[in-house]
Order: sequence, then structure tokens, then C-alpha cells
Amino acid sequence: MVNSRWKKYWQVLTSNNIGLFGLILLVIFLLIALLAPILAPFDPTDRVGAPFTKPNGQFLLGTNDVGQDILSELLYGTRISLLIGVIAAFISILLGCLVGIVSGYYGGKVDAFLMRLVDLVLVIPFLPLMILLAAFIGPSFWNIVLVISLISWASPARVIRSQVLTLKTKGYVEAAKSIGTNIKVILARHILPGVIPIALSQFVLAASHSILIEASLSFLGLGDPFTKSWGTILYYAQARGAFLTDAWIWWVLPPGLLITTLVIGFAFTGYSLEEILNPRLRKER
Amino acid sequence: MLGKFITGKLLQYFIVIFLMLTLNFLLPRLMPGNPLVFLAGEDVGFMSSAEKDAILDKYGLNDSILEQYGTYIKNIFTGDFGYSYQQKRPISELLMERLPWTMLLTGLGLVLSTVIGVMFGAISAWRRGTNTDANLLTVFMFLSAMPSFWVGMILVSIFSAQLGWLPVFGAESAWSNYTGMDRFFDIGKHLILPLATLILISVTSTFMIMRYSMLNVLGEDYIMMAKAKGVKEKVIKYKHAMRNALLPVATVFMLSLGFTLGGATVIETVFAYPGVGRLMFESVLSRDYPLIQATFLIITFSVVIANFLADLIYPLLDPKVGSRNG
Repeated sequence: MVNSRWKKYWQVLTSNNIGLFGLILLVIFLLIALLAPILAPFDPTDRVGAPFTKPNGQFLLGTNDVGQDILSELLYGTRISLLIGVIAAFISILLGCLVGIVSGYYGGKVDAFLMRLVDLVLVIPFLPLMILLAAFIGPSFWNIVLVISLISWASPARVIRSQVLTLKTKGYVEAAKSIGTNIKVILARHILPGVIPIALSQFVLAASHSILIEASLSFLGLGDPFTKSWGTILYYAQARGAFLTDAWIWWVLPPGLLITTLVIGFAFTGYSLEEILNPRLRKER
Repeated sequence: MLGKFITGKLLQYFIVIFLMLTLNFLLPRLMPGNPLVFLAGEDVGFMSSAEKDAILDKYGLNDSILEQYGTYIKNIFTGDFGYSYQQKRPISELLMERLPWTMLLTGLGLVLSTVIGVMFGAISAWRRGTNTDANLLTVFMFLSAMPSFWVGMILVSIFSAQLGWLPVFGAESAWSNYTGMDRFFDIGKHLILPLATLILISVTSTFMIMRYSMLNVLGEDYIMMAKAKGVKEKVIKYKHAMRNALLPVATVFMLSLGFTLGGATVIETVFAYPGVGRLMFESVLSRDYPLIQATFLIITFSVVIANFLADLIYPLLDPKVGSRNG
């Protein structure tokens, strides 16, 4: 039964143009990330040419300030941006699910407390807080993941809570409760299957936000200095004044276009998932 | 009921401020390494032991942790944010210098992006399902997917570096001694690109909310009634629909201040615009920890105050909330 439901989601997702477009973009980026060593003409950490070389037959997008091939940097950067986005989104959705399910299922004081907490987190200006935390705990891959996920669990938690509230009033859940079914069984068999699709769409949207946040942090010089993401490439382009010269076309434009396209890929997939899973939204559009 | 609502909100904001203050207090003391580095910035290596003692004394690092916390809170509420040992100036002075520029940029950005978002949101909802609607949706989705700093860099590349129409950085020309109208236009010219960037990245949320809210209003009975009575389309659109659809936008206006200020941090960095956000970036670069903390606190305070103002204003705008309170 679960299988056929997923099949249905898949069919609706692929019949929806926007969703299909987003999904194709994501697959392309996944392939680039996986095949980076094959696709990239050079090792992105090697100084293979003269610094600030203009694009030519050998270096399609020129070289940066220390003579590394920009195209190879971009291809390898896909891995970092994608990985940080996906892992940070995964952790924040996990936290969001935990809070949302506990809050929605138990209700009462627990619910009131957790929702106040969500309100609190939502008030905090998140980018400045991230800058503060990243500055203190230092720039590294896992610190960035941690900082992003610690701040972005709140709004998914709220969405998942409302889904749990809806599920709770369903006849089969009330029936299971009234015959004294173990709470673990109710959660696993009746609540979770209804939560997972919503969590999935929230995950995809969270990934698109995480990628943008990671780019901003890296651009401010708070990214992992050993793994260059697209944001880090732009940080160096800014620091070396590339955007004031002709180099903006091959050094500044491409990383930003890649970030935008990847974010669009996630956002389109996420919005159409949301539309599929939330019939009310579908009617209103 | 209104009183209870406001008190509840006030309590919530006090907790936010309390938590952020505590976080700020604990961060330099919990991190591994010499807390002196975090309290005075990375220059401690060059300080004499007398200077170090003065700092230890000022922060009372030899007192109990509770006493230190008390001093810290007292200092903040008397406007004493500490001292930037790297810039050799009191932090409150630095903040006062930078705040007006950030207020100019974010204030104008917030107002203009709201006006633009509302206009296009209304058009999109009014033409729902048409090509105009689909195109607008696509454009605004793309806008929200672009990294803010990158939009700024591209605008500078095109309009400043390539075309030479607008200045590259700063809030006004250095050493120009412009006065009166000349200075006004000079500041305006420097403001155009950062402002445009801020509007481009923050306009989508207003657009989406206005469109959604307008769609809801257009489905209401009184709109159908007005149409049935033969009221002119323009009147329905502006007088009936838009006025009612504006309500949710009003709350979002204040609530998006947090996002706008965060965005401004990055944008001010790109344009070397001398606001609080740029100050935060400069302090990160020079590892001037007291300054990082102070800029973070001042941004948090602004956001909390804006949120609270939104809560106060909302009942005045929404007749339903107002009447419930008698």
C-alpha cells in the first residue's frame, strides 16, 4: 500500500512541469558532483597556469589569483555546496520532525513550551547569529553544517506539528488509541507514514535555503578554508577585485549562476512536492 | 485579551534578549583557549602585562562567574558595549556612527520592496492562471534563488566597472566636502546599487504573500457580490480587494526586518557600505570578538523592537482583532 502511494507521488511529481524541471536539475548536479574527477580537466588545488589567465583553449574559464583552473574549482565545488546543503537540511528536518511530532502528538504543556521555543528561534536574526557562532567556533565543514541546522529546524517543526495534529484526529488513529495500542506502534504505523512526505518536501526546501546560507557564510570568509565551495570561490573573486575587471564574466558570473540553478532545482522540486501533498494549496492555485 | 497578548509577546521578547545576552556572555568564556583573546581581540600578544591586567580587571575575570554576569548585564543596559582594542575606540561610538547608514539602507529597502512586491503580487493574483501570472511567479522565484552578494557583485561589474555610471563603493565620496544638495545627490548615487540589490533579494516574500492573500480575498463573497452589482473592475480591485489583502503584508513588513538586516550584512560587505553589517564583517576579518558580539546584539535588539512594534500595530489595522477586544 505504501509502495503504491509513493508511486502515485512520483507520477504526480513527474507529470508536473515545474517539479520535473527541478528534478532534472538536481540529477544533473548530482552527476556533476559524482563525476567531478572525470569531468574536471585539472586538480582544483594544483597551480596549473599563470595567475589571472584569461579563458583559452586550455583553461575554459581562465585561472584564479594563484593559477588554479576555475572550471575545475567549480566542478569540484558542486560536491561541497551539495553536500553541505543536503546534510544541514537533513539534520534540521530530523530535529524539526522530532519537535513537531512530540509537540503535535502530546499536546498540552509540552506543545505550548515547544511552540514558544519555535517562536523564539524564528525571531532571532539568523544570518548574524550564524556569523557570530561561526566566528567563535571557527570555520570548518562540520561547524557550518552544525550552525545551519541548529537555526533552521524551527519552521519545519511547525509544519510537521500541524500535520501530526491533522493525523491525530483521523479515525484510525483514534481507534488504535481506544483499543490501547502501544504508543510506539501508533507513531510508527500511523503517524510517521503521514509525516514523511511532508518532511520530504520540507527537506528539499531546507536544502535550497542551506545552500544559500552556506554561500553567504563562505562569501564572508567563514567557510571551510580547505574545501572550496562556490561561495568560497566568490569570496576570493571579491577579495582580488575580480568583479571590477573583465574577469567578472568568467570568475564571478559562473559560480553565482550555479548556486542559483541548484537552489532553483531544490525549490522547484520542493514547491511542487508541497503542492502535491497539500491538496488545499493545489485548489487555491 | 489584547493586554494579555501584548504581555505574552513582551515576555517572549525579553526571553529572546536574555538568551542572546547570555549566549554572548558565555561564548568567549566557554571556548577553548585564552578568554582574553576573545574579550580583547587577537591583539593581546602585543599588549603589555599592565594592559592585560586592566582588561582582566574591567571584565572582572577574577570574580565569580555570577558577578561577571551581573557586571556584563549592567554594562550593556547603560550603553557600554565594551572597547574595541583593535580600533582603539569605545564600541558604542562605532555603533552610533554606523547605525544611521544601515537604517537608511534597510529602511528604504524595506519600504520599496514592500511597495513593489504588493503591486506585482496584486497583478499576479488578479491575472491568476494567465501567462502574466506564470511569468511573474517564475521571475520572483529566480530572484529569491540568487545569492544576495552575487547580485551585488554583478550590478557593480555592470553599472560601475563596465559602464562607469555609478560609484563602486562607500556611502559618499571621500574627501569631497560636499554640502547641502550636492552631498544629498552624492549619497543618493552611492545608495542606488546597494538599495537595488536589497530590493531584488527581499521582494519575493512580499510578492508571494500579497499574491496568496489577494487570491483568498478574491474568492470572498463580497467580491462576487460587488461584481454582480456591476461595480467597476478598478473599484473592486483597489477599493475592495487590495485593501483587505494588504493586512498580512503589514505583519510581514516588520517581521522581515530580521531577514533584511541579515541580507544587509552581506550587501554592505560587497559595497563597503559603512553600516553595522559591514562593521560586523570587518570585526570578523580582524577577529575583533567584542565588536562581533556588539554588532550581533544591536541587530538582535533592532529586530526584536521591530517585531514588538508589529504586534502593537497589527490590532489597529485588523478590525476583527480590534473589535474582539471591545
